[in-house]
Amino acid sequence: MLVGVDVGGTFTDLVAADDGALRFVKTPSTPDDPARGVMDALELLACETGQSLEDLLPEVDVFIHGTTVATNALVERKGAKLGLITTKGFRDLIELREGARQERYALRTDAPEPLIERPLRLEVRERVDAAGAVREPLDEVGLDAALAQLRAAGAESVVVCLLHAHRRPEHERAVRAAIDRAGWTPFISLSHEALGREGEYDRLSTAAVNAYVGPSLKAYLERLFGELSARGVRTPVFVMQSTGGVLPIADAGQRAVGAVTSGPAGGAMAAALFARTLGFSDVVTYDTGGTTTDVAVIQNGAPVERVRTDVADLRIAAPAIAIDPIGIGGGSIARIDAGGVLAVGPESAGAAPGPACFLKGGVRATLTDANLALGLISPDTFLGGRMPLSVDLARDAIARDVAQPLGLSVEEAAWAVHVLATSGVTEGVRLATVRRGRDPRDFALLSFGGAGGLHAHAAARELRIPTVVVPRMASVLSALGFLAADVRQDLQVSVDKPIRALGPSELQTIFDGMEREGRVRLARTGLGSADVTLRRTVDCRYDRQTHAIPVVIGEAEPAALEDAFTAAYRSLYGHAHDTEPGVVDVCRLSLFGALPKLTLPRAAVLSSPDPSAAKSGEREVFLGRWTVAGVYRFDDLAAGMQVAGPAIIESASTTVLVQEGGVASVDETGSLRIGELAS
Amino acid sequence: MTKAHAAQSPLTLAVVRHKLKAVTEEMVETMTHTCFSPILNQNQDFSAVLLDADFLCVAQAERVPIHMGAMPLAVRRMAEAFRDDVAEGDVLMANDPYWGGSHLPDVTLAAPFIHGGEIRFWVALRAHQGDIGGMSAGGYSAGAREIWHEGLRIPPIKLAAKGALRPDVLRLVAENSRKPEDLAGDLTAQWASVRIGLERLTDLFARYAAREIDGASAAILDAGEAVTRSMLSTFAPGVYRGLSHMEFASAPDGLLPIPVAVTIENGRAVVDLTECPDQVAAFINSPYANTRAAVMVAFLYFCGDEQGLNDGSARAIELRTRAGSLLDPVSPAPVGACTSSTACAVIEALLDALQNADPSRAVGGFARRFRFALAGRDRQGSAFIWHYFLNKGGAGASDGRDGWVNLGGLHNPGGTPSPSVERTEAAYPLFVESYALETDTGGPGAARGGLGGRLTLRYEGAAPAVINASGEGVAVPPFGAQGGFPGPGHAYTVDGESGQRPIGVHDSGVPIAPGERVTCVSAGGGGYGDPTLRSPEAVLRDVKFGYVSPEAAFAVYGVRV
Repeated sequence: MLVGVDVGGTFTDLVAADDGALRFVKTPSTPDDPARGVMDALELLACETGQSLEDLLPEVDVFIHGTTVATNALVERKGAKLGLITTKGFRDLIELREGARQERYALRTDAPEPLIERPLRLEVRERVDAAGAVREPLDEVGLDAALAQLRAAGAESVVVCLLHAHRRPEHERAVRAAIDRAGWTPFISLSHEALGREGEYDRLSTAAVNAYVGPSLKAYLERLFGELSARGVRTPVFVMQSTGGVLPIADAGQRAVGAVTSGPAGGAMAAALFARTLGFSDVVTYDTGGTTTDVAVIQNGAPVERVRTDVADLRIAAPAIAIDPIGIGGGSIARIDAGGVLAVGPESAGAAPGPACFLKGGVRATLTDANLALGLISPDTFLGGRMPLSVDLARDAIARDVAQPLGLSVEEAAWAVHVLATSGVTEGVRLATVRRGRDPRDFALLSFGGAGGLHAHAAARELRIPTVVVPRMASVLSALGFLAADVRQDLQVSVDKPIRALGPSELQTIFDGMEREGRVRLARTGLGSADVTLRRTVDCRYDRQTHAIPVVIGEAEPAALEDAFTAAYRSLYGHAHDTEPGVVDVCRLSLFGALPKLTLPRAAVLSSPDPSAAKSGEREVFLGRWTVAGVYRFDDLAAGMQVAGPAIIESASTTVLVQEGGVASVDETGSLRIGELAS
Repeated sequence: MTKAHAAQSPLTLAVVRHKLKAVTEEMVETMTHTCFSPILNQNQDFSAVLLDADFLCVAQAERVPIHMGAMPLAVRRMAEAFRDDVAEGDVLMANDPYWGGSHLPDVTLAAPFIHGGEIRFWVALRAHQGDIGGMSAGGYSAGAREIWHEGLRIPPIKLAAKGALRPDVLRLVAENSRKPEDLAGDLTAQWASVRIGLERLTDLFARYAAREIDGASAAILDAGEAVTRSMLSTFAPGVYRGLSHMEFASAPDGLLPIPVAVTIENGRAVVDLTECPDQVAAFINSPYANTRAAVMVAFLYFCGDEQGLNDGSARAIELRTRAGSLLDPVSPAPVGACTSSTACAVIEALLDALQNADPSRAVGGFARRFRFALAGRDRQGSAFIWHYFLNKGGAGASDGRDGWVNLGGLHNPGGTPSPSVERTEAAYPLFVESYALETDTGGPGAARGGLGGRLTLRYEGAAPAVINASGEGVAVPPFGAQGGFPGPGHAYTVDGESGQRPIGVHDSGVPIAPGERVTCVSAGGGGYGDPTLRSPEAVLRDVKFGYVSPEAAFAVYGVRV
C-alpha cells in the first residue's frame, strides 16, 4: 500500500493506494503537534479498511509525508537562533541583500530583520580566491574562539559561508570539523552543501534558511518517525520537497530548506500525473486558496522549475517547482479604491476572520461572499455542509462595501466582483504562459477546484483554451501528487567557462563525479541502481549576461550543448545570438530513484451520457441576469455522463460552474472536462 | 475632447481597467522574451504604457519609475510631428530630448490603435538601449558639452509604415551604435511588443463597445485624479519651499541649487521649479519630460494606492518650469545624467518641501548614486571595463522607522540588484578585501538613517587602469529630516604607494596601478527627528550591533554605554 499524508494549515489529507483502489481521508490538522493529526488520519484509514492500526501499518510499502513545519517556522519567524562563521571582511552580506527591494514606492517601511543577528555574525581569517587557490589559510585559533563565542551565546545552528567555498570547500569543512572537535552539536549548514555554485548571497541565504528551519523540522520528523515505527511502519518514510521529489527522513531534516516551499509541489505533481494520464503534454494549473491563486505550468508532462525563490525577504536558491502567485482567493476583499473603482484583492480576509458569510467575525465583502450572493455557492453544501454560510451576511457586506458606493443592486455588485476575479485568474494564467515563451491556447487548463472551479470555464473561454479539467479528488490533490513522486537528489557544480573552451570530456567528468555522489546518497535510501534515472541540466548564458537559462541535455557532449543551448534560448526568446559566445555557468544533475507509483484508476465509460441520476435540482443563479442552472452532485456523476451549461456541479470541496453553451463530461478518471458545445 | 462617461458601468470600468493594465504587462513580458541585447532582457530597463487619444496615460507596466511620467509627452510630440500622416500599422520612433524625450539611450516606439476609423489609443514602449553612439560606450559621458556628444538624436520618424518595418531606417539607427546588432534586435523586439499591445486591444474592442472602453478610460483618468487629489488634500494648504543641490565643479561653490516651491490648495499642487539655475554645458540638464517624471515620482512616494498611477494624477499637479533652465533646457544642452542624478535632486527638493507640509511623513535623504567605470587590462592583458554597482549606501529614516541599508538613490531605490563579489572576482582582475556596513554612518535621529558600507578592492590587472566617475552625493550628503542629522556623503579613494587620492563625482581618467586599492565608503541615510529622543534601548541595541560606536552613542544620542 502507498500512503501520502499532507498536513495543511486546516486539514490533514491522506491518500492510500492499494492495488489500484484509492481511499481518501480528511481530518482536522493539529498545529500544536502535527504528528497527532497524521496518526488521526491513519486511524481513520484503518477504520475504513476495517483493520487495527497495528495491522494496517506493516502493510504500508511507501509512506510519503508533506509538512508545513519548515514553512511555518520561517514565515512566523520562529526558527533556531543562528550563528554565522564567515570570511573576514564579509559579515554583513546577509543584511546588504544585494541592494534589492521589491516595493519601489513605499519609502516608510521597516527594513527586514536579517535571520542572523549582527553580534552572532563572526568573521575568521581565511581566503580562497576565484581560481580556488588559498590566499590565506584558515586561522584555526581564531575559529575556535569564534565558535566558543557562538556556543556561549546560545546559538542553536551554525551557518558557515566562506567566499568561493563552492570552488574549494576545505575551509568550510574544517569549520565543521572544529565544531565536532569541540564536542558541540549544533545544527550545521555549510554554504557549499546548501548550494554548490557561485553567488555568495545565494549560498549564504539558502544555508541560513536551512539552518533556521532545520532543527524544528528535524525534531518533528524524528518524533513522527518514532511514533510510526512504534506503531509498526517498516518502510522508510519520505518527505515531500519543493522540487516535487522526496527525500528520506534523515536527509530531509538536514536539508530542511528543501521543504520550505513544498506546499504547492504535491499539487503540481498531481497535475502532471493527470496531464500524462489524460494525454495532455502541456497543462497550466491553478489552485485558488483563501488568499492567492497559485499558477504552475506543466510542459512535456513535468512541472516547470526555477532555481531561486524569494520568500519573506529571503532568497532560497534551490531548485523548486515554479509557482506564480496571483492575489486572488476566496477571501480576497472587494473594495472601492481611492479612485472610486472596484478592486478585488490582494488584501484577503483569509481563513480568520474570513469572508462575512463564514460567521466567524469577518465583516468585509469577499469573493466568496459575492459567489454566495450570486447563488453559485450553496449555503447548505459548502465543505460538505460542515461550514454553514450566511447568505444574509454576505449580501449585507456586498451591499455596504460594493453595491451602495457604486449604485448597483447587490446581484450586480456581486457579479462585478465575480467577473473581476475571473479576469484576475485569466490574466495570471496568460502571463504564466507568455513568461515561458508560450501561447495559452496550446495548453489545457487544470483547475484544482476549491474556490477556483467557479472561474475556470470563463477564464478558459477568454484565453481560447479549448479544454478545462477539474479532477474529482481536487481537495486531496496534493497528497495524491505525493504518490507520483520519485526520490530525488540534486547536485550542482559551478563551471563558468565558454562552451567552446570546454575539453571534449570535461562535462562528462563533472557529471560523472556528481553521479557517483548522487548514487551514494540514493543507495542510502535502499534503492537499487536499476531504478535510477538521470536528468542533466546545464545552465548556460551568453557572455555578457548575468542570468543563465536551463538546458537539459542527454549526453554531455560540448558540441551538442551548443546546439541545445541555441534551441532552448530560441524557444524562450524567439531568437538566438550567433555572434555571442555561450557560457556554461553551472552543471546540475538530478537523480530520480523510482518509487512504486500510483496509477489513476480508470472507469469504463458508460454508454449513456444522461446525468439525471446525479442531478440534485435546479437553482436560480445570477450570471449577469437571473437564470436557472441545473445542479449536479460531482460524486454521483459517472464516467461518460454529460452536463450542459448553465450548470453547477458541487462536491464537498468545490463548486464548478459550466457556462451557457458549454458542456462538461466526465472522463474515465472521473474528472470533469469542460469544453464548448459543437456549434 | 470630453467623453460622456457618467453612465459608465462600474463592472465594465473595473474589468477594462484590469485588462488595460494586463495589456501593458504582456507587452513588457514580451519585450523580456524577445529583446536581443543580453543585458536588456536581464535588467528589464523598459516600460510600457497605453495612452488615450489625447495622449493621457491610462495604464502602464513600469519597470523603471522615471520612464512613466515622461512617456506621454514623448508620444504626443511624436504624433504631432506626423499629424494626419499616421495610418494603421505605422510605428513611430524617437529619442530626442528636444522632441519630448529624456536622455538619448531611452528610445520610445509608439503606435496608434485605430478602431472605427479613429485613433482610440496609443501603445508605447520605451527601452534603455545599451549604446546609441556618442563619446563613450553606454551613454553617461561626463565630458559631454553638447547633446551631439551624447549620441544619435532621433527626432520622430517612422520605424514601420503600414505594418512593414523600414529596413533603411533600422540600418541608419543601428549603424550609429557600437553594438549595431543589439540595437537592431532590441528595436525589433520593441516593435513586436507594441504589436502585441495592439493585438490585445483588438481583442478588447471585440468584447466591449468602443463607447464603453472610451468611457472606461475617461473614468480611469478621473479615478487617478481623485486618488491624487485625496492624497494632496492630506496636506495642509500653503506654499512650501524645498531645496536640494547638485554637484557641479564650475559653479561658484561647486553646487547648483535646485529650489522648488509647492503650492497646495483645494486638492491641487502647483510645483514651481522656475527658480533653478540656467542650463549648463554638462550632462546634468534635465529635459522637461524627465523633470515632470521626477516630480510625479516624488508624489508617488505619498500615494498608497498604485491604481492611481496614471495621467489623471497629472491634472491635479501643475508643473512650472523655465525654458533654458537646468530643468527645462533647450537644445543643445547635454542631458545624459538626467534620469538618475538630476531626477534624484528634483525628488529630494520635493520631499524637502513636502516635509514642511506634513512633518509626520518626512523621510531622511537617501544615498545618491555614485557610479564609476574602471577600465584596464585583465591578467591576460585583454582590455576590460567594469562598472561599479555595489555598496549603494543607506536610506533615510522616517517617523518610527530606521532607514534600510544598501538601497541607493531616490530615483530607483532597491532597483537593480548588485552582482556578487564572487562573480566580480571571477570575471575581472579585482579582489574584494572587504564589504561590510560602516559603523556611525547612519544619519543620527530619533529614527536612525540606514548605514553606509565600506568596500575595499584591489586592482590586480596587468597594466595601469583608469577610473571614470559619474555621480553625486559626495559634497551633498543625504539630508536629515525634522531635526534628524544628515548622513555622511560618499567617500571614494584610491590608495597606493603614493598615498591616498580622493575620487571626485565627475572625475575621469583617475589612474590606478596594479596592486593599488579603491576604497568606497558609501553615504549613510539621513536621520529623522531629534537624536536625543531616540529610545535608550534602541541606542543600546545599535551599540551592541555595532551600528553606532559607544562614543557616538554618548556624544550624539546622550546615552552612556
